[in-house]
Amino acid sequence: MSLLLEVKHLSKTYRKQTGLFRQRSVTALDNISFSLAAGKTLAIVGETGSGKSTLAKLLVGIEKPDQGDIFLGGTAVKISNYRQYNHVIRFIFQDAAKSLNPHQKIGQMLDDVLHFSTILDPQQRKQKIKHTLKQLGLLDEHADYYPHMFSGGQLQRVALARALILDPKLLILDEALTALDPTLRAQMVNLLLQLQQSSGLAYLLITNHLRLVKHIADDLLVLHQGKPLDYGTTASVFANPAHDYTRKLINSALT
Amino acid sequence: MLLLDIKNLTIELKTPDGMIRAVDRVSLSLREGETRGLVGESGSGKSLIAKAIVGVLNKRWQVTADRFSWRGQDLMNLPYEQQRKIIGRDIAMIYQEPSRSLDPTAAILDQLEEAIPDNLLDGPWWKRSYLRRRKAIALLHKVGIRDHQAVLQSYPYQLSEGICQKIMIAMAIAKNPKLLIADEPTTALESTTQAQLFRLLASFNQLKGMSVLLISHELESIARYTQSLSVLYCGQLVEAGETAAILKQPFHPYTHALIKSVPEFQPDLLAKTPLYALPGSIPVLQHLPIGCRLGPRCPNARKECVKTPALERLQNHYFSCHFPLTGKTES
Repeated sequence: MSLLLEVKHLSKTYRKQTGLFRQRSVTALDNISFSLAAGKTLAIVGETGSGKSTLAKLLVGIEKPDQGDIFLGGTAVKISNYRQYNHVIRFIFQDAAKSLNPHQKIGQMLDDVLHFSTILDPQQRKQKIKHTLKQLGLLDEHADYYPHMFSGGQLQRVALARALILDPKLLILDEALTALDPTLRAQMVNLLLQLQQSSGLAYLLITNHLRLVKHIADDLLVLHQGKPLDYGTTASVFANPAHDYTRKLINSALT
Repeated sequence: MLLLDIKNLTIELKTPDGMIRAVDRVSLSLREGETRGLVGESGSGKSLIAKAIVGVLNKRWQVTADRFSWRGQDLMNLPYEQQRKIIGRDIAMIYQEPSRSLDPTAAILDQLEEAIPDNLLDGPWWKRSYLRRRKAIALLHKVGIRDHQAVLQSYPYQLSEGICQKIMIAMAIAKNPKLLIADEPTTALESTTQAQLFRLLASFNQLKGMSVLLISHELESIARYTQSLSVLYCGQLVEAGETAAILKQPFHPYTHALIKSVPEFQPDLLAKTPLYALPGSIPVLQHLPIGCRLGPRCPNARKECVKTPALERLQNHYFSCHFPLTGKTES
C-alpha cells in the first residue's frame, strides 16, 4: 500500500513580542515525523499545549511550517498549491453545531464548497450533493434545511458531508468524537469505519480519548510539549510504552 | 438513614404550547457516605435534577415531588428561607465548566474567602481575617494545589481548566457539606487530570464520609468510582441500582446499549469492528414520544410501550421497562 501522507522533521515555533526589543519564542512542534497509508487511521494523542492543533493547522495549510516537509502522495506540499491540496485533506471541527453557518441552508453550504474548489456545472453540483447526502444516510430534502433543524447526530453527519463532498483521501478529525453522547458516538464511529472500508479513506484522529483510540486507530503518536514521544502501532504502544508520560496517560485512561 | 430521598420528582417548563415535562417522575435516594452516579445523555435532565436539588432553577420551571426529604426532614413543606438555610449549609455543588462559573473580575483569594462560612472560624473577631486566609490556603492544599501564593493572587482566566476545577472543589468543601453534587466535573479536563480529580473526590468521600452525586454522560468514566448508579433517558429514570450489578446484568435495553457501545466494556471486541448502537437520535423536548420515551429507538419495543412503564424492583435493582432483558418472570 502506498503512503498517502508523509511528514518529515516538521517544526514550528511561535514568536511573541514581550517588550519593545525582546521576543519570546515558544516551540509548538519539534521535529515531528510520521507517515500514514491510505485506508489507515493515525491517532495523535496529547494534552493541551502539546501541539496537536498546531500540527493539524500545518497539515491543512492554515499555517506554514518553519522547517520540515509534508509529502502528499509522494510530492512535497507548498502553500501555493493549497487549492488543489484541499481536495485531498479535509478537516472536521470539534463542534458541528458551532462550525456551520446558521444563516445558510445545508444545500447552499455544500454547493459553495463545490463552487469554490471544483469546475462542475450547477447540474453536476446538484447531483453530487444528492449523492453525498445519500451516502451519509441523509435525505434529499435535507438540502433545504437550516442547521438548527437538525438533531445533534444529523449535524455531525452534515459536517461530515461537507468534508466528504470533495472525495478527500484524508480526513482530519479534531476532537470531533469527544463531545458526543455515547450512543451517538457509537453511531458515528460505525459510520466512519464503514466509510473507511468502502472507500479507503485515511483518518487523522486528534483526541485525548484513549479508549476510543484503542478501538479505531491503527497507529498512535503521542505528543508532549511539541515533542514526539511514542510512535508505533496502537497495540504495541499500549503494550509497552517507552516513555513515562505515555505510561501515565495510558494508566489514567485504562485503569 | 437516608440522606436525600426524592420520590417522583417532576420538573416542567411552561411554554406557549403547553407544559413540557423535562423530568418525568424520577426517584433518587442517597445514603450517608454513598457515591452515586447519575448517567444520561444530553437533554436527559440530569443537570436539571441537580439544580432542582440545590434549588437554583428559575421561576419558569415548575418543580413538584411526592417526597423530597433531606435527612428525614421534608423540604417541600418548609418555608423558603428555611429551605435555603438547610441547603446552603449541607449541600454543595460543582458546576460544569469551572472557568466560566468563577467570577472573572475577582481574584481567587476573594472568591475562596467568601465561600468560607463564619461559624467554621473559631477565634476572636479581630483574628477573623487572618484565620480566613489561613483556611483558604489550607483548602487549596487539600485539593492538591501546592503553589498557593501564585494561585490566590490570580484571576480565573490566568489559570488552567484543571486548576479552576480544583478551586471550585475547594470552594465547595469549604463548608464541610454533607452532600457534594458534581455536575460533569471532568468534561473540560485532560485524561490525566480527570483521574486525579476522581481520586480527590473519592478521598473526600472516604475520609469525611461526604456523599457524592456524580453526574456525567460517560458511563465508563464514572462506573469505576461509584457504588450505585441511576441511568436517565430523556427525563425518565430507566434503571437504578448497584453499579456492579447493573454493569453485569442490565435489565433495560437503554442501559444495555449504553454499556455495549463502550469498547472498554467489551474486552473480546476486535479493533475496528462496528460498535453496538441504537438507531435514531435523542428526541428533542418539544417532540417527546408518549409512554416509554425510548420507544421509537428500542430494539424490542412492542404495543404496550405506549404506556409509561412503572418502576419495578428486583432486590436492590430498580428498572422501568415492560420487557426487561432477563430475570423477570411474566406477571
